[in-house]
Amino acid sequence: MHTDVLILRALRAGGVNGASGALLAKELGVSRAAVWNRIEELRRFGYDIEASPHAGYVLRASPDVLHGEDLLARLGPVRSIGRDIRVFAETTSTNDVVEKLARDGVAEGIVVFAESQTKGRGRLGRTWLSPAGQGLWCSVLLRPRLAPQAATQLTVITAVAVARAIEKHTGLRPGIKWPNDIVFGDRKAAGILLELGAELDHIRHVILGIGLDVNLRSADLPEELRDVVTSLSEQAGEPIDRPGLATALIQELDTVYTRFLAGDFHELSDEWMRRCVTLGRRVTLHVGDRIVAGRAEALDDEGALLLRTEHGRLERVVGGDVILEK
Amino acid sequence: MGVSHWLNTKNSAVDLKEIKAIIDLMKKNSLAEFELEEKDFKIKLKRPIGMVSSPAGTMVEDPELTAFAPLSRQLASSAAPVSAASNGDAEIKSPMIGTFYRAPSPDAAPYAEVGVEVGPDTVVCIIEAMKVMNEIKAERRGIITAVVAENTKPVEFGQPLFRIRPI
Repeated sequence: MHTDVLILRALRAGGVNGASGALLAKELGVSRAAVWNRIEELRRFGYDIEASPHAGYVLRASPDVLHGEDLLARLGPVRSIGRDIRVFAETTSTNDVVEKLARDGVAEGIVVFAESQTKGRGRLGRTWLSPAGQGLWCSVLLRPRLAPQAATQLTVITAVAVARAIEKHTGLRPGIKWPNDIVFGDRKAAGILLELGAELDHIRHVILGIGLDVNLRSADLPEELRDVVTSLSEQAGEPIDRPGLATALIQELDTVYTRFLAGDFHELSDEWMRRCVTLGRRVTLHVGDRIVAGRAEALDDEGALLLRTEHGRLERVVGGDVILEK
Repeated sequence: MGVSHWLNTKNSAVDLKEIKAIIDLMKKNSLAEFELEEKDFKIKLKRPIGMVSSPAGTMVEDPELTAFAPLSRQLASSAAPVSAASNGDAEIKSPMIGTFYRAPSPDAAPYAEVGVEVGPDTVVCIIEAMKVMNEIKAERRGIITAVVAENTKPVEFGQPLFRIRPI
């Protein structure tokens, strides 16, 4: 494992008592000078590391930047998601990066973050605003042994993981708008888009694309988005530490995915239903040029929305845009 | 209840492996059609018995040859992914329930128009279900002869999306 991962893990484990440079050098099998070099490098990255003659190195503060080795150090052991993490300063879309990794045959569980995306993707060619350092823009590569039709279940469990991570790290209570928008009231704080590579009878890979508005300020948003978009910092009334949230997100994704593969989908979908804010509301569904108004009545076993139309018919909805009426 | 509904539920009566086993049996016994109906579901499988596969795996229409050909020569390839339209064209089918999109975005040009040549890896459309975007590939070389499904409308599991003339 990378030296920085081990150093940061030892510093975090040591807390205020610190980690001895001599011990670190011994554990890593390098010289004390080499450890000191890495510490200097971490300081340049923004880590506040104090060197004391008695305690050794003490980590006083971490910068609000995404650093792959630090995320691995914070995570500890995972079963699948978060086995490998890569962080880019800027990319078109983290889904593009992961798609290439998928084509290159990389194993499942790798997570790619970008501090900013120039072409963050939404549904059907829409863009996802991803300004530098203000959110978590990331993608995860999965290779579940499932039929393509079952990929919709991943939509459900991903939404649960994102909601749980926000709750764990910030104490906020987000809702889920069908099928997987993370919302506070009627405003969206996170979006999830899955891209599937599949044969007729099996999935080759799935890319979970997650965009989390963490420290976006409403003033930085284009006018037309201010009523429909919010951020965690706006909801919490204070800035949110992104590396901590990223760690919680990966841990929750790893947990729900492991549970899902073990056959616990229904338990996770029950939680999703409890968090769903769409049910009972009057909604308008837009699919292509078709518009259907009705009441969101229930979710079926696979998470499809059952819409009671104005004509009293029950329609099973798996796609399109659902707009909540005020 | 749709085919896809029982296909992925754990307590389903039939799973994909069993369907494959049925297809294998159909091949072995030269059956053209198979139908099974139970309380909760119905399945109907059809094999293009009028076609045989050449050694290279490409489909050739030759009813006379089929009629007298030894069983072992008949349809060695899988019956599932593409099925024959009446005129010998193959079909590209939907692997999932969802919404059929011919273009990556509403303003963009369609992935595949009638008359264009496509390869196995050419993306021909997107099927979306619950924010899962599935880019469907042609899976074979050929010319698109018809767009069967309607843009932005729901499609079922196994529903034909395009007809394609193999080349």
